Amino acid sequence: MTEKITVALAGNPNVGKTSIFNAITGSKQHVGNWPGVTVERKIGKRVHNDVMMEIVDLPGTYSLTAYSLDEIIARDFIIEEKPDVVVQVIDATNLERNLYLTTQLMELGVRLIIALNMTDLALAKGDNIDETKMQEFLEVPVVSTIGSKGNGIEGLLDAVTNELHRTRVTGNVFTYDDEIEDKAEKLRVILDSDPYFAHYPSRWFGLKLLEGDENIIKKGKESDSFPKIQIILNETDADILEAKVADQRYKTIQTMLRQVCNINTSHLSGSDMVDRVVTNKALGIPIFLSLMWAAFEVTFTFATPFMNMIDIFFGWLAETATTAILVPWLASLVGEGMIAGVGSVIIFLPNILLLFFMLSLMEDSGYMARAAFIMDKLMSKIGLHGRSFIPLVMGFGCNVPAIMATRTIEDTRDRLITILITPFMSCGARLPVYVLLAGAFFGRDAGVVIFILYALGILVAVVSAKLMRSTILKGEDAPFIMELPSYKVPTLKGSFIHMWERGKIYLKKAGTIILIGVVGVWLLASIPAPGSSGTFASQEIYGTTESMIGMIGQILEPLVAPLGFDWKIAVALLFGVVAKEIVVGSMGVLYGVGENEESLSNILSAGSMTPLAALGLMVFTLLYAPCFACIGVIKRETGSWKWTLFQLAYGTSLAWGFAFVIYQAGTRMGLMA
Amino acid sequence: MTHSYGNKEIAFAALAGVLYVFFGLLNIAEGLGIDTGIAGLLFVPGDILGGFCLMVIGAVFLNGLWEMHQGINAGVSFVYVGILMSLIFAAVYLLIMAGNLLDSFIVPDDYKGWSIMETFRPGIYLGLLSIAGILYWKNRFSLNEVLVFREGA
Repeated sequence: MTEKITVALAGNPNVGKTSIFNAITGSKQHVGNWPGVTVERKIGKRVHNDVMMEIVDLPGTYSLTAYSLDEIIARDFIIEEKPDVVVQVIDATNLERNLYLTTQLMELGVRLIIALNMTDLALAKGDNIDETKMQEFLEVPVVSTIGSKGNGIEGLLDAVTNELHRTRVTGNVFTYDDEIEDKAEKLRVILDSDPYFAHYPSRWFGLKLLEGDENIIKKGKESDSFPKIQIILNETDADILEAKVADQRYKTIQTMLRQVCNINTSHLSGSDMVDRVVTNKALGIPIFLSLMWAAFEVTFTFATPFMNMIDIFFGWLAETATTAILVPWLASLVGEGMIAGVGSVIIFLPNILLLFFMLSLMEDSGYMARAAFIMDKLMSKIGLHGRSFIPLVMGFGCNVPAIMATRTIEDTRDRLITILITPFMSCGARLPVYVLLAGAFFGRDAGVVIFILYALGILVAVVSAKLMRSTILKGEDAPFIMELPSYKVPTLKGSFIHMWERGKIYLKKAGTIILIGVVGVWLLASIPAPGSSGTFASQEIYGTTESMIGMIGQILEPLVAPLGFDWKIAVALLFGVVAKEIVVGSMGVLYGVGENEESLSNILSAGSMTPLAALGLMVFTLLYAPCFACIGVIKRETGSWKWTLFQLAYGTSLAWGFAFVIYQAGTRMGLMA
Repeated sequence: MTHSYGNKEIAFAALAGVLYVFFGLLNIAEGLGIDTGIAGLLFVPGDILGGFCLMVIGAVFLNGLWEMHQGINAGVSFVYVGILMSLIFAAVYLLIMAGNLLDSFIVPDDYKGWSIMETFRPGIYLGLLSIAGILYWKNRFSLNEVLVFREGA
């Protein structure tokens, strides 16, 4: 009969845990959420040596303290669910830091197996690790693996099944100074005598109490023995003791490392060399800005011929459809509504693809992690956590996954601030508006204008964060610890896949929500307003003030008139809340130029709009209320309508204020006349 | 202290650093409307941000020069990264040229009287210097094994 067991996969972030999980479980995976929280939970299955293993991929953590949601989830699972075996995946190129988690897992008394991963990279670095000695020192099985190639997986699974039948479970191999040991022992006696704590490893629980772990103290308070525990805790300075415990764990690790491996310190790896430069105090940020500028230049300039090809194609398609369809209103719906609206969005596909290709190159090479690192100092000055930078950079692609990525931020205030400012990071959907208007009004400087808009988004985000941190969301700064993965040469295939994945989403959006949106705009532009004498979709109604959309636009116009926008822009912005791409699609329909981006540019620059109003419109699009999908994810992640509505109101007010200043001040100063 | 680099790295860092900073300044000056008198001859556009990028590359090289001068072995990292950055920017400028060339075939009316040399930039010919550098030190440009800095090597 097949034995059923649970195996937890633990480890630091970026140690190749996912590669090991995928190599073990293949396609037999289930992805869900951990109970009560929105942190992803992956479970897979594998039968090995007649044992059915349920593999649970725990969140990547550096330790098992209660500083982050990920850490609490990982340790609660180990303590409460009591997996039969815990496999800790360790990055062989960074043993010291990885073994810190090992010390904590061992103190929990779990059946532990170490998967010494990335051994190929350690060898390449010139590190020589003696696995047998390490196994002897730690008294746990150590198996060498290369997760990315699937090497060592069978050996790892053998070790798991062998561990089940091993009688001795890892004991306590770490001792602390007399003061800590004395207090830990006193607490152990109290805990062992209270049945309430029978579920917990008493030494580990006692140490956590001494370290002042809030989560553990909260659990302790529910027991009858807590008054006795409190007496010992009152004699202890938790902060000093926590630092001492960490220090002694590291000393033990260093002692072990001296015996079991030979780390090559006379070499500076390629990654180290690049890091010396790109994380340089003075040059790090200028290098980052230069690379971002290069990405935007390519996105804008190299995409132009491809945009023109698409433009020509949709022009031909609209003309053919309009000529072929004999029913005038249907020809108008298909030609001016559907093809024009969708075409005016698809035309920007080359920009989207190129931008994501560029971001993917930076992400896959490992540079994005450095960008977060170099920005940390700047971020902490404005009261934000360095870890917030990753979601913010992701926001350049799409705000929705970026807001979801804030789950890695431990501090709830930092997380909330990051969620609230992420929509200011200019997502790919806003790019069509910039490309259209910057191209029409700023010619060869269009790339520079777009770059400045992205920079403005960052500036508004950081200033807003500072403002929130010092007013409505005051609190202490949390420490920043972040993994800097080794650099990798990004593969063209990988970057093309990322690019195409984004492109597919964009095309799908164009074929669904944007199509519905532009058809909606066409319908409202074709339906006569109450009291109008015109007929449906007639020339005298379509897109004029006599149509329904004209009526809505005129109601909204007083709100945007001080910004230099007409009623058509007001309507385009209103529909842009459904999806930002619809702003351009709607303008295409309302200005009656269809899919022809060049014609729309010509109409706008020929007098329908001033350069100042165009600049204001780009800034307004950058800052005002995000799209429906983004609003939904803000509500879900904050769990609050109050904060969701705050973001919408704050962003829209800022957008209006900026556009007002640009248009009014610029006009009075005679700029861009 | 042992110097693990040769005079070639020092000379390269000095030459590339000075050239990039010089052309960066020319770009910025032209961008600010200052007539340098040599912009046309050297294909220098009026481009403030592009000039800033060239100056950043120059600063990377010069920082490496300064560190090597101080006897810091790892200063050579700046030379290698400077070479990589200058090649990235040369590629970016070449892509821009290629984009314009392609566009001139698609919408020829927009490109009447246009010459491809209008989009030729100093970042391209300065990149040639880095190509020479990467060919000379080619065995050091591998992340896993070869791009390894050896004390005293």
